Amino acid sequence: MSLYYGIPILLIAAVMQSAWLEDVRILGGRPDLVLLLVVTWSVIRGAREGVVWGFVGGICCDLLSGGSFGLWTLSLTIVGFLAGQPWVHALGPTLMRLALMSALGTVLGHFVLLTLMILLGYVVDLGRGFQTVALPAAVLDFLLSPFAFTFLVWFHHRSRRQLSGFAQ
Amino acid sequence: MKRDRGPWLAWVLLILALVLIVLSESGALGPAEGLLSLVVAPVERAVSAIVKGVGSVTGSTRDVIELQQRVAGLASANEALVQENFRLREYQAENEELRRQLNFHQENPTYGSIGVDVVEQGCTIFPCGDVVGQDTNPYLRFVIITVGSRDGVAVGMPVVTGGAAMIGRIARTSPNLSYVQLINDPASLVTAMLQQSRVMGLVEGTEEGQLLMTNILPDEEVAEGETIITSSIGGILPRGLILGQVESVIYLESDLFQRAVIRPAVDFRRIETVLVITDFPQPDLEELAIP
Repeated sequence: MSLYYGIPILLIAAVMQSAWLEDVRILGGRPDLVLLLVVTWSVIRGAREGVVWGFVGGICCDLLSGGSFGLWTLSLTIVGFLAGQPWVHALGPTLMRLALMSALGTVLGHFVLLTLMILLGYVVDLGRGFQTVALPAAVLDFLLSPFAFTFLVWFHHRSRRQLSGFAQ
Repeated sequence: MKRDRGPWLAWVLLILALVLIVLSESGALGPAEGLLSLVVAPVERAVSAIVKGVGSVTGSTRDVIELQQRVAGLASANEALVQENFRLREYQAENEELRRQLNFHQENPTYGSIGVDVVEQGCTIFPCGDVVGQDTNPYLRFVIITVGSRDGVAVGMPVVTGGAAMIGRIARTSPNLSYVQLINDPASLVTAMLQQSRVMGLVEGTEEGQLLMTNILPDEEVAEGETIITSSIGGILPRGLILGQVESVIYLESDLFQRAVIRPAVDFRRIETVLVITDFPQPDLEELAIP
């Protein structure tokens, strides 16, 4: 799926994260929609497309944040790169490795985000941040990964059909 | 032979992301952010409108339970407020009389009346925006509002809602959107005082999203329920914007200062419409200079 579709998907996901998911509290946390989509796409399509999705998704999130621009961009680009590595395929069947990578990717993304914030002088506590935000988000992303996978695969097939239709 | 673009593309994007952070920190990214926000703003507004529409239906069941609890709390709070209202009417009458005597209002048309006028003048004088979203970064407490630099909004301006209750200050602007740092953000610091006892202190946010008044001298009397307002010390905020009420006081013998836990004047999760105060009288710095 080209970025023609990827950009709107990531932008809408970021806006939904800002406008809706901030109020949603499940298991004491909230899912990271953009991060979940980036990890899922990276696992399906590999690191090359993963970093691009991470970069674009990060910019969308940074546009809807009052913090320094680039915090999400760097975090999600790193997550997209690592989640798309070949060794991920050794983690088991598709859905299992997606779920595992969603959880690991969320933890990694939040670790990078928190570290950058600490380096830039923000008042955040790494341990507390993990306990109250990152770990609940990782659990939720783990549970939601099959839905993200189903959506992206469905959308991918649909967009390919449309694009081939245009070509004819 | 087809070469794998993966590794170098990743490095390029990672370096680009680092450059973005550096440019953002140096303030050089403003124009580019402004351009990008032109795309984001309409999407944010549209999704926010849909979410609010859907949320009003799905949230109603959850709200019923919350409302029952709130009604019980509000009934007891109402009783206390009725009594306080009587006292405030007395203060108001006294205040009006004193103002007439001092001809205060004519000399300082807006000073001291901002807490009232902000509400009455509404959107015709001050930029008035809807809250369309919250920060995507879960470690920050910002809200995004639908007015920006095109409407005259600038960094540092105070933002109020529900009367003269201050919710925060503008931290970043783009042409169509502004990012408000809420007063319960861990990095927020507001000079404040207790309305009745005039005790001074600093109101700061905590990582848990609570509000604390700190730097209160140990010998000061702090009563629970007392209202906390902005103090205007430093000249960056007008005096009299309501921050909250004292919920409890924390003081240990070993501490240098007392601290007060504050019950915020507004529920930060339910802010819908806000006003940005773009201008207010500030002390003349030349008068303060030592001759």
